[in-house]
Amino acid sequence: MAPPIYSALIISLGLGTTMTFASTHWYLAWMGIEINTLAIIPLMSQNHIPRATEATTKYFFAQATASATLLFASISNAFLTGEWDILQTPNTLTYSLITLALAMKIGLAPLHSWMPEVMQGLSLLTGLILSTWQKLAPLYLIYQIQPTNSNIFIVLGLLSIIVGGWGGFNQVQLRKILAYSSIAHLGWMILILSFSPPLALLTILIYLLMTFSLFSSFMLTRATHINSLATTWAKIPILTISTPLILLSLGGLPPLTGFMPKWLILQELTKQDLAPIATLAALSSLFSLYFYLRLSYAMTLTMPPNNPAGTLPWRLNPRHNTTLMSLATTSTICLLPVTPAIMAMLPL
Amino acid sequence: MTPAHFAFSSAFMLGLAGLAFHRTHFISALLCLEGLMLSLFIALSLWTLQFDSMNSASMPMILLAFSACEAGTGLALLVATTRTHSTNRLKNLNLLQC
Repeated sequence: MAPPIYSALIISLGLGTTMTFASTHWYLAWMGIEINTLAIIPLMSQNHIPRATEATTKYFFAQATASATLLFASISNAFLTGEWDILQTPNTLTYSLITLALAMKIGLAPLHSWMPEVMQGLSLLTGLILSTWQKLAPLYLIYQIQPTNSNIFIVLGLLSIIVGGWGGFNQVQLRKILAYSSIAHLGWMILILSFSPPLALLTILIYLLMTFSLFSSFMLTRATHINSLATTWAKIPILTISTPLILLSLGGLPPLTGFMPKWLILQELTKQDLAPIATLAALSSLFSLYFYLRLSYAMTLTMPPNNPAGTLPWRLNPRHNTTLMSLATTSTICLLPVTPAIMAMLPL
Repeated sequence: MTPAHFAFSSAFMLGLAGLAFHRTHFISALLCLEGLMLSLFIALSLWTLQFDSMNSASMPMILLAFSACEAGTGLALLVATTRTHSTNRLKNLNLLQC
């Protein structure tokens, strides 16, 4: 893509999210979200292959529907209460509609069906932007609407955790697995949102960190299938150590960073007398752990059967600058002991 | 709920149902999307007409601009889909299944 067009699209992506972050009026928030959607569509379909075009089409429909529903709910709220302010959305019906529209924007169950297919059709870098940057604006709006009635959030959260785990069971394509992992993590985030918004913020930040490091690891070897993961040992051996640790961190196992949000969320839910919901969430995340473990197994504990030792590929200079990736990977593995400091910083 | 509110709400719901249950053609889904935007335009114009001031008069115009951008994007995707999938029937978008 020509550099002026590419830079205009990237700047528009930044502009859209910034507009949504900076707004207190629902109309400006909607405009920022629309700019985000319009800016990423050419980026998604830039290589003009059929899969990318199909993924872009499905993404466009899902996001356009959700944006229109968001604007409709805001206008209905204005007609019913006269308020355009984001922080005061008192009407219950429009509040639920806004929540559902934003849930469709970020791909929470039961409005998640576009997400795996869209991620499958994109390149890894565009999939990374979709999983991380595109989620920021709607998540910020959900964070800001001051949830008081927790029922809809608990339902969305539990469904997303279950669907995110169960849906990824039979997948061998890495991008679909990453889509289902995104659904599950955002389910954890929205589960705790009505009880402790700072914990939801912590969950989002740690999810962004872990997803960024996993995508970067896959981008280094251009892996999109479990078979291509299995030959990583010949290309970049250090990845066979770091990527399973990132995967286990995504699964939420204790000495790694991914345990921190799950632990704090389960603690908060238990304090709110919702122990059965906490149990259900914890058990459902075992589904996700299954496919993370399967990826780690394929990468580290297996060796392809017909690879003679003398045919290792040439190790040329790596194309990617790995500075950010190494920072993210280190944080994904080693941040758990810092939990007390983080808890002291957040107003829990 | 005032009659005006009911009018544009039902228009929006009809368009949303049409978009959610799109069955055959790509272009009918795009038309329903345009119908959604039109109902929202009418809603914002009615909102402006209820006040004597012109404070919120820019909202329907900005909505029109964004809706035109979205329509253009949708049509560009229609052309791209017809080029890669040889048809605009929605059943042909089956490359990305599990």
